[in-house]
Order: sequence, then structure tokens, then C-alpha cells
Amino acid sequence: MMETAALVVPITALEFIREEYLLKGEGPILTVYSLQSQPKACASLSVLHNYRIHGIRPKPQPADRWSSHLGEDLVVFGGKAVCLLRLSDEGQRLEQLSPLVELQDWALDVHWLSGNDGPLLGVALAHNSALLLDPAEGCVLALSSCQEGCLLYSALLLGGTWEISVLVGGTVFNQLVLWRPGGTQPNKKAPVERRLPGHCGVIFSLCYLQETGWLASASDDRSVRVWRVGDLGGAREPCGDPRPTCLRVLYGHQARVFIVKLSPGRVYSGGEDGGCLLWDWGGGGRVARTLKGHRAGGVRALAVSEGGEGRSRWVATGGADGGVRLWQVEGEEEEDEAKGGAWEGESLVNLGFKGRGVPKVVRVVGDGHWSQGLVVVNTDHGEVCLYQGGRWSPLWDGGPEFQSYCVMEVLRVKGWGSTAAREGLCAVGSLSGEVRVFLLSQPDTGVSLRGGLGKVHSLLWVGGLTDREGRKGYLLASGAEGLVRRWLLEVEMRDTGLVLRAHPLDPLLLPPCAKRWLTAVVYLKRPQGALWVCGDRRGSLLLFEEKHRADGEEPSREEDGKETSYRTVESSDDKEDMTVENGGADKRGEESCRVGPALQPVSCLFGLHGKQGVTWLCDHRGLLYSAGRDGCVRVLQVGRQGLEVLRVQRACKGMEWLERVIILEPRDSQEDQKSPELERTGSGKEARFVMLGFHSVHFVVWDPVRQERLLSVSCGGGHRSWSYCPHQDGLSVGQGALVFIKQGVVLASQPSGEAPSRAGSLDLREGLHGRGVGCVCHLGVVGEAGDGHWDALVTGGEDTSLTVLAVQSQTGTVKALSVISDHISNIRTLTAVQRFDGRTGRGEQTAGQPLSALVVSAGGRAQMQCYRLLIRGNGQLGQPSCQVIQVASHRLDGQWERKRNRHKTVKMDPETRYMSIAVIDDRTESVLLALACSDGAVRLFSVSELRGTFELLWESFHHQRCVLSVATCCLEDEQGIRRVFLFSTATDGRIAVWDMSPVANPEDKAPTETQGLPEPLLTIPAHQSGVNALAVWVEGPGVGHRNGTRITLASGGDDGQLSVAVIGVQYQEEAIDGSGVRLQILSQWSVASAHAAPLTALGMLSPGLLVSTSPDQRVCLWRLTNTGLSQRGVLFSHVADAAGLAVWKGSGDRAWAVVCGQGLQLLKVTDMEDGGNREEVTEEM
Amino acid sequence: MGRSSKDKRDIYYRLAKEEGWRARSAFKLLQLDEEFGLFKGVKRAVDLCAAPGSWSQVLSRKLRGKDVKIKEMAEEVKIVAVDLQAMAPLPGVTQIQGDITKISTAQEIIRHFEGQPADLVVCDGAPDVTGLHDVDEYIQAQLLLAALNITTHVLKPGGTFVAKIFRGKDVTLLYSQLKIFFSGVTCAKPRSSRNSSIEAFVVCQNYSPPEGYVPNMSNPLLDHSYDVDFNQLEGPNRIIVPFLACGDLSAFDSDRTYPLQLDASEEYHYTPPTQPPIQPPYQQACHLRKNNLLAKEDSPAHLVEAAFSAMELSASQGDNSTERPCSGLEFSG
Repeated sequence: MMETAALVVPITALEFIREEYLLKGEGPILTVYSLQSQPKACASLSVLHNYRIHGIRPKPQPADRWSSHLGEDLVVFGGKAVCLLRLSDEGQRLEQLSPLVELQDWALDVHWLSGNDGPLLGVALAHNSALLLDPAEGCVLALSSCQEGCLLYSALLLGGTWEISVLVGGTVFNQLVLWRPGGTQPNKKAPVERRLPGHCGVIFSLCYLQETGWLASASDDRSVRVWRVGDLGGAREPCGDPRPTCLRVLYGHQARVFIVKLSPGRVYSGGEDGGCLLWDWGGGGRVARTLKGHRAGGVRALAVSEGGEGRSRWVATGGADGGVRLWQVEGEEEEDEAKGGAWEGESLVNLGFKGRGVPKVVRVVGDGHWSQGLVVVNTDHGEVCLYQGGRWSPLWDGGPEFQSYCVMEVLRVKGWGSTAAREGLCAVGSLSGEVRVFLLSQPDTGVSLRGGLGKVHSLLWVGGLTDREGRKGYLLASGAEGLVRRWLLEVEMRDTGLVLRAHPLDPLLLPPCAKRWLTAVVYLKRPQGALWVCGDRRGSLLLFEEKHRADGEEPSREEDGKETSYRTVESSDDKEDMTVENGGADKRGEESCRVGPALQPVSCLFGLHGKQGVTWLCDHRGLLYSAGRDGCVRVLQVGRQGLEVLRVQRACKGMEWLERVIILEPRDSQEDQKSPELERTGSGKEARFVMLGFHSVHFVVWDPVRQERLLSVSCGGGHRSWSYCPHQDGLSVGQGALVFIKQGVVLASQPSGEAPSRAGSLDLREGLHGRGVGCVCHLGVVGEAGDGHWDALVTGGEDTSLTVLAVQSQTGTVKALSVISDHISNIRTLTAVQRFDGRTGRGEQTAGQPLSALVVSAGGRAQMQCYRLLIRGNGQLGQPSCQVIQVASHRLDGQWERKRNRHKTVKMDPETRYMSIAVIDDRTESVLLALACSDGAVRLFSVSELRGTFELLWESFHHQRCVLSVATCCLEDEQGIRRVFLFSTATDGRIAVWDMSPVANPEDKAPTETQGLPEPLLTIPAHQSGVNALAVWVEGPGVGHRNGTRITLASGGDDGQLSVAVIGVQYQEEAIDGSGVRLQILSQWSVASAHAAPLTALGMLSPGLLVSTSPDQRVCLWRLTNTGLSQRGVLFSHVADAAGLAVWKGSGDRAWAVVCGQGLQLLKVTDMEDGGNREEVTEEM
Repeated sequence: MGRSSKDKRDIYYRLAKEEGWRARSAFKLLQLDEEFGLFKGVKRAVDLCAAPGSWSQVLSRKLRGKDVKIKEMAEEVKIVAVDLQAMAPLPGVTQIQGDITKISTAQEIIRHFEGQPADLVVCDGAPDVTGLHDVDEYIQAQLLLAALNITTHVLKPGGTFVAKIFRGKDVTLLYSQLKIFFSGVTCAKPRSSRNSSIEAFVVCQNYSPPEGYVPNMSNPLLDHSYDVDFNQLEGPNRIIVPFLACGDLSAFDSDRTYPLQLDASEEYHYTPPTQPPIQPPYQQACHLRKNNLLAKEDSPAHLVEAAFSAMELSASQGDNSTERPCSGLEFSG
């Protein structure tokens, strides 16, 4: 009937078995990860039926471990259930040892105890009582209650046997109480023996460490407290120290602390802020490390391994987002030793700059770690110095010309001999327009160039050219009045040594503006000629086109054209190579004569990145990536119209100063690079990238898909020179190092060792939204059958982000392809139109073509966003890739937001939320949308991909209440005239049916004429209160109905009722009143208590088969026949607070349903044959 | 976002302030009464988990106020409000600062009623939530059952019990427990309660405990379980009580967003809240954060300790109610 194909819900339990396995509890499912070399999931079993796993307790192994070959026994518990399991076959086999034990009360902790005839289980219950359980039989041997009969939020049961066991409870009164369950007579209640007050909120988690006699508690009050309680559960004094004391109060979390763990010397705490803090015991409790790897909703589960050789430990964090991260932390003893006393700046190394003057610009040449490469610094004394092998040496002295003002940029080039890997071209520019270029290995031989009349504002290199040797580069010098001079520089090996040759090119002219200089540039090779994309300090992006010089070249030899044209320049220059510095000056006149007039931009996106300017440009597979100090990365392409922005990606809140983009994919092979079609069409897929920039006083590497900081270096903030060295493998970007200048000192951060370590972590499972997922939409299928087959979904949530997901139903794998964070409030609704690739084209998706869809999302603050998504499969290679193109954005109160001094006035308009969205018509270029609005209106918008705008066409306040849901359907009458109906519902339980044909039919589409749309054709009272969900199905006249078309309209309400109305459509010959349509309700059915909670989402697989869901966590399948509605099946879902649902038909008689809420669940619906048979329903009626 | 933005987002929040209710939940009880006539003939009423007191306010106004015609009737009316926290006094309402799980509290209520049982028991309590739905639903159910347990000690046969309920995955188990004690159980949703929230109210009418039932406070009343083979979990035998939406459709819509200017005749004025918010558990943490004193990876450790002592100092200098009561059940209305 229905079965789970994929599930992502909050991780509520994690536990290590030695350093070998990690066990995860997600909903009722226990998963085992093997931690050998390449950690991966090796076994999985659904064990707790309708309960969530809240704890996993492996049976303590005897010291000799003789029994370990039999496997590991575990007890898993959650809610009112306890289950005994065995893990064997090297983690491959997971089996249930006894039937599920159901308790009367909620289990907060389970503890292995030894009994006379084998192991027993002690269970701490939520009403401050404890059970002794025989795990094999599942029977209760003893029950003991405390005199304090209050509710506990957390508990621990400790001790070796029941008789000396101690229960630690975290009560609703914000206290810890200790008492002995095994020490009382039957029928008597045990007294509280110790009481630990201090917390100001309820206690969510407890942890006890036997070795030190410490107890840790995590609380709603955002603190962790560590108490000295002595030996608990010991034979002599089970309740430990008679006077327990509070040793530490640890405040560091930004929100509630959900979970705490202890190791000797460390406290680990995980909280709602998504972070896991490692507290060192020394120094009064300082934060040694912050492990941040989860999205909204926080860390719900935390496990710390015992530590293997070298005392390094695994730490695993599980999030409300369903993600699991594995981190390695050093043993606390060694770390303490290494760190000594000075904490501040420990992770930073002072390179101890020695030389005259103050360092101004710093650059690093070479692969990987700065210590293996070269650090190049220039000073205000006009000198360039080199740091190599731990020593500083002066390299070049520019004399008075370069003092006090000197810009510098270094390009890495391929060298010869021993310096091959560390050769660089260094360019420096002066206040008077002088530019010098020299090789790092040969600073005395260089060229002198004329950068312009005034000061050289900036110097930029363009390297990475297609020449095999990697010994060429373009140099751009931005001078006065927007004139950017350009040269091609080449390094050559001659018998006289290395020779530098400069070939001047036509200069570029930046458009006039206040800060008229170049800040970023990228060079694109095209068959017709070169394209130069430039970014300036004013925030504009500019496109320059450089046609090939004719020079008598034959068109057929276009490929070598450029090469030859340079040669022409070179040959004219050959007589005197510009190798002598002094000779350079004389050539200036000649040089300027040779170059042509300045190139003007052919396309300009003025101020695109805001007034603070563009900082970075790069290209990758036909797409451009720009970063700026507006906190945005833009993905662009060069299209027919020039530069076109495809989408904007913002960094995290407060990170407004971006400096660079690093593409995560390894660069493609030469063949791919040269593929002209790819380059020209610009349909290259978007790559995963990370953003580098400043976030207050930190330099941060931000991963926009994972929504996390990969690296954070406290450098003092922006306005400083820096250079970033990514990790050698090119993938662990966050593990690179930063070299920067702070107050005249050259500092470098220590890059971390092997992954996963200091900054990095291993993603055992990727997380989704974290907070509630409010809406889900199925886009289609990508890839071929088998391993490459993925369903593409989009979800929107309370975390204000949209996520593009790929789900593999066979394996249950869920991958986030892209996270879009343009919404400023809760995303409540989504819709998608599948459209064939191209801006307006429509048609069927064919093999090899990407899945292309237009997605519109809407939600709080009356905000709407439209995107085109291009998703393509990667065959057997892995997950699909997704390119996001931003189409349009709209806010109802956009006027208000643009108003100046708005903080001084009170905004009287309501804070409208968009509750639901539906596509009315998508036959034309602009898509017509209906929106349900919380201010009582139904609004009609059109969104045009060509114009990139939303337009409000019509609104009606007919409902006068919050409009909750909209749905549409369209049909054709006998004359082939299209009819479009809109259904809207509000909190009064009524469904209004509108004829939208006048708007949808293009000839009447002038917005002015649509003002006078009629009142609803029909109002159907369907529910007592709010109607949350609608589903519509149309059966046209083609199916053989005597009376024309009929519409099946299903609705689900806050009252838990499911209603269905079958509406007949009759066309009138003479359309006098304008509509020409009569609607008649043919039959109405309802199930009053379809769900025990509000029915929040509905889907229709056929007019005879409905799927519904609700926060009662049941997914129900309903069959509609001419005798009424009947339930076909129910499935208990582990997605709490179910808010959205999408259904679609698969291959064969299979269908799929995806439920979203506090997580995501994909269900396979089989057994469709009789329920899905529409004929049966329709024939007899 | 200004202080008026919440007035726009939530019309009942605004109305509550304008009409002098301590919380918007007052409208929920008023609308439940409209539908069920809860207050008809009621002389003795109990408000459990009363703070900040909006339901007690409703009881006071409706049972004693000008709505009641005969003066003597009003004199006869006795209202008891129980909570762990003290709340501002209300006319005609006796406050008991106590724990609803204690037999002594039940005895004290009866004492105030001079040995007579109550006609009506209401409970609008909600626990501190964890964010995990299964845990939160369980704790809310335990709170409701604790309220039911004390109710069995004080309610007259035929009396009415009204309590907040979360319509979650196991709500049917609660219904089946309540149906043992009341012949009429209805799940009611006042229109002032948002459509989007899982909150609803059980209106339990005609208290008729099973024969031979002896009220017992020494053991907690536990919620039911699904039958052994889980037939009730996914089968058709779940006990779902009738649902009733309460309140006039012409009343304000709690889901709708209204402009500040509700009608042309009256200028909008901002009204401050009737009661300041209770002190949250995270107050100390917020104080530390505001002063940038939370421990961070790159901050020296001694700061934390110094910060904490500084904190203690400022807490002791500040108003003396920083510490919340540390005994009894802690529930906020």
C-alpha cells in the first residue's frame, strides 16, 4: 500500500561503539556507520515502530572482550518503548533480540545492570520513577517511585546493580534531584537524597563521568553546569558526595543547550544555535573549539568516543536538520601542553617581518601551505621582500618612485629548474603611473611600462591562459580617468637567461563614475575574439569585446589567429627586447603609437554590486562568478544582450564584504574547456562554490549550500591585504590558511592537518532545513533508470531558504543540490511549471536535456521569488547538478521598503503573508499566478521571464478573511474555448469558485480590462473553520460524459475533515452575462474525522484516489467512488507537524508521495490498480 | 519592525491590550463560552495554571461582573486560581500558590468552596517546550492529565472541565482517557486560536467517573497506550472526538493580517501590554550576550568567570525577582 522510501528527520540519538562504529537514531530507524578508513553506513533497521529513538546504550563489554566476536548487544529506547538488538558481522548485521517492550510511562534513560541470572535493564521514567526490566522476557521485575512525583525533562540511571542504583532527575522545577530506586521497600516512595538547585530553566540533558565524579547538566537557561557529586552508584554511598558543589557555570551558547557530554578534562555541549562547544576544563572553562555544522534547529544529538591511540576522539553531532557530522578532536592532555598559557592568537603565526618600512601588500606564490611557497610583501619604502624557508630577504628596491604609494600584484607562472613551482611575475605600480614587472627568481631583469599619466589605482593579472607552458599573463593597470592599459607578458628562456617580453594591447576605457578604477577582471576566449569582463570600484560589471586583428589573416586559421597577431607585435619589437630597465622609458612614445584607441564597453551592469565595488571575477565552464562588497556572489553569463545575471547568492547575515569565490569542482579537462558550444551557449552548469570575505573582525570561508563557516580567522576585519592558500587537495577549502597584514605585522593562520580535523568535518549525512519545511514541490525526474535515476524536489521552510533536492528512491539518498536564500521570511508555498529549456520554449523533456522548470515561491512579508532551475543528471557518476537562474522578485510593500526615513513613521499596511500559490495559466511567455493572502485578498500576478518582473493584475477582497488556499484547473469546452477556474478558501470554511477565463485568454489579457472580474460563480460551504488544502481534478468531455465536463474538488480543513465535491460544468450557448458557464454540484461527500488533527495537505493521484496528511502524523489514502469516500490505507509518518505534500505518478502502477514538516519523508504508493481507476468512479454518475 | 508590527500580525493580541485583558487567550475562553454556555449556573470555578491570569479575568468578569443580573448571585460566586507563580490580584478571585499535583492543593480548593465541589474547572497551561514534537506533546498530555487528576478531586458530578490540548500524533489516546471520566468530550477550536496552531481545547461535559473510582493523587494519571498489536495506531479504531469551531464568524479572524487603521472613524493608538512579560529562563544568558561576555573560541577564558561574577552582582542589584520560584510545577499560561 504505502511504504517509506526515504526519510530525513531530526537526529535524536548518537552513540559510539569504541572507535569502530557510530550508531544513529533517526525517527524509529537505527543506522550503523562503520568508522573504518572511509566512514559509511553499513546497516539500518526500523526498530521503534511509532516512537522516536531517544537513546542507544551498548552493553558494556567485559574487559577481556572474549564475547565481542558474537557481536554487540544494544538497547535502544524512545518514548514508551525499549528494544534489545544485536549488531554483528562486523557491523553488517543488525537484528532484534526480543519483541518491542512497551512501557506505561516515557523512558528517559536506560542503563545496563547486572543481575544474578544475567544482565538486566534499569529504566528511568518521566514521572520520577524507575523500572527494573528483564530484557529477554520483556517483563518488569520492580518499580520504584520518588516522593517527589513531578515530571522530569531528563534523567540518568547509574550504578552496577539495581540495589545500589541512583537516579538523577532534571525536574520541571529546574532542579536536579538524586534518589535511590533500589533502596526502598515495596509500596513505599523513596526520598530525595540530594538536591542541586541553580538552573533557571528546565534541564534538557545530563551526563555523568565516573572517573572524576562529575555531573553535567544542560538547560533551557542556555548554560551548562558541572557539579562535583562524587561516586554515584557506588556500593558505599550510592548518592555520592553528601554536599555536591557546582564547579562550573558555562555560558557560551547563543540559545538553549540541548545536550551535554563529559570526558576527563573536557565538556561537550550542543545547542539550539547549531553549534557544539568544546570546553576545556583548565582556565575556568574556556571554549577550546566550536564545531558548527548544522543548519537551523540546532544540535539534537551528540556523542563522544572514548578515544583511541594518541588520545584523539571522535565527536559526532546530529542536527534537527537530519544531518550527521563526524569531527576528530585532539586528546585534551596533549593539546593543553601544546597550547600552554597564551590563548589569544594561538592559531596565528607571526612571520616576523624584517625589512625597512611597514608591509602594505602581501601575496603568496606556490601550492598549498604558505610555508612551502613564497610570501611576497611590499612596503611603504618601495621595497619588495620575500619570505622563504622561514627567512625574510629584500628582493627589489623601487627607489623614491615607489615609496609611500605602491600597488603590487603577483602572478604565478611556471618556472625553470629548482624554482619551477615557485616562480612568479611581480608587478608594482607607482603614484606617477610607473609600472615595473619582474620575475621573482630574477628581480634585476624586468620591464618598465607606462601605466598612464596619474597614479596606478590597481594592477591586475589574468593568468591561467591556454598556453601549455603557463608562462604568459595579461597585466592590466588602471590609471587616471578610467584608462586601463594592458600588456601581454611572456617569459622566455634564452641563453642569456630568462627574458621578459611585454606586448602592449589596446587599452580599455571604464565609463565615467566617482571611483573609476578596475578591481576585478576575467578574460574569456571566444572564436570571434576575446571578451574581457571587468568589475570596477563603483560596483559595475563591464563587458569589452576585442575583435581579432585582421592583419591579413585568413578566417580559416582563426584558431591560430591570436597567436599570430601577437607574433606580429613581437616581431616589430624584436630588435630590442625590453629586458633592460633603463631602456623601457624611451619606448613609451613608440608603444603608445602602436596601440589602437581605447575599447569601450559593449555591455554594462552599472552598480551591480553596490557602491562598495566589485572584488572578484572568475569564470568556470562558461559561467561567470562575481563577488562584491554588497555581500553577494552573482552568477552571470554572456548572452545575446551582453552580461546577464542568472542568480544572486548571498552570504550569511552580517557578511557583507565578500572578497573571492572559490569553485569547489576540480577544473575540467582541456577538451571540456575548449568545447566552443558550451562556451557560447553559456549553458554550462553552475558549480559548487564557497565565498571568502570579511564578517566583522573575521576572515570567513562560507559554504552557501551547507550554510556554514568552513574557516574563520580573527584578522581584524576588512581594509587589509590578504592572501588565501587553499588546502593541497583543492577540495577541503576550509582547511586552507590565510596570510594577512594586521597593524604592520605579517600574520598567518595555521592550516589544519588531515581531514576531518580542526576546521573540517566529515558529513556522514547531509542536513536539510532544520526548522519546519512548509512546502514541497516535485519538479520531475533526471537521469536514466537505475543508479542514475533521481527525483528532483524543491522545498521551502521556516529557515527562509529554498532547497533544491535530489532524491534517489531506491537507496533513500537525499542530496541538497542548491540552497537559495533570497527570502527574508518564512516560505509557505511553492509552485513549479515544467518548461523546456530556453527562455520561453515549451515542450517535452528529452533524454540528455536538463530538467527545466520555473519555480515560484512565496511566503511571509508578502515576498515572491521566481527562478528557473536547470537540473541535469550525472549518469552513474553521482548526484545531479542544478543551475539556478534568478528570474524575478517582488514584494507587495516594496514601495515602503524603498522609502527613506521609514523608521520614523508607522507603517499602517498589514504585514501580509502569502499562504498559497497556484498557476492559472502558463501557455504564454508570462505565467499567471493566483495567490492566497493573509490580508483577505486573492491576488493575481503575472511573472515574465523575459522582463524579469512580477506584475499585479487583479485583487479581490471577497473573502474578507485570511485566504488559506488556492487551486486552479483548466478545461476546454466543445468549441475548444479554454476555461480556467480558480478555487479559493478562507478561514470560514467556504470555497469560492471563480471563472478566470477572461484573464487567462490572451485576447482579453489587457490588465485594465481585468479590473472588473466577476464575483465567484459558486460558493461551497465545506468546513467548519479554515480550509488548509485543496486538490482539483478535471475530466474533460473526451472521456465520454454526457453532460460535459466534471471537476472533482477535494478539500481538507482545520476541523480534520476531508470533503469532496463533484462539480458539473455546463456551457450556455449564448454568453450574455459574460461567463457562459454554469456550475452545478453533482455530489458531495465528507469524512468528519479523517484526521485527529488539522488536515494540512492533500494530493490527488486520480479523481478516485486521494492522499491526505496532518500533524496527527498519519498519511491516509482515500478512495472516492460513487458511494462515497473510504479509507484505503494509513501509514504512521515520522514527520512531525506535517505541513505540505506532493504526489505524482511513477512508472507502472506506482505513485509517490512526499510529506514535509519537521523533516521529509518519501512514500511509495503501490496497489494503485483499483483505487486509481477513474472509470469506475465516473461511469455511473 | 516597530512595536506596532505585532499589532498588525495578531489582531487578538492588539484587542486584548485595548480591552485590558492580560493575554489574548481571554478571547478563547469567551468564544468557548459562546458555544458551550460554560458559565451557565456556575458558582464555583477553578482556574488551573492561571498565570498571568487572563482566564481568571474572564471568570471574574463573566461570573461576577455586570453580565450577572442578580447581585446576590454575584456574591455567591467563588473563583479560585491556582498557579506556582503569584499573579496580580483580581476582584473576587482567590489565589492559591501551589502545585496541581499535590493533594494539599486540592484540599485547599475545597476549603475555599466551604466543602462544596466545583462546577467548572479550566486549564490553559502549557509547558516549557523542547522543540521535539513527540516530547512536547507528551509533556502537554501529562500536564492535562495532572489537571484532570486534581479535577477528579474537586469537580462535582455533571460538572465541566476545559483544558488546552495539542492535536498531535497521540491525541486520540488522551481522548480515550478523558472519555472514561466524561460522557461528553468535544475538541473545540475558538476562532481566536490560530488556524495554523495545533492548539485546541477539550470541552469535557457531564463529569461521571467510573463506578467505584477513588480519586488518587499519589500516583500520576497516565495516558493510554495503543492496543497490543497497534491496530489502533494505523487502523480505523482510533478514538476521535467531534470537532467544533467556536466563535462568531463575524468576529475578527486570528489568521488575517489587518492594517493598523481598522476603520476610518478611529485613529490608531499604540497600547502598551497590560502585563509586562514574565522573566524568561534565558535572562542571564541574554545579559551576558548583550555585554559580549559569552565564552567564545577566541576569547580568553578568565573573562567568563569575571563575567559571571559581574552578572551575579548586577542580578543582586537589580530587582529581586530574577530567580523564579523553585518549587512546584512550572507552567506558563
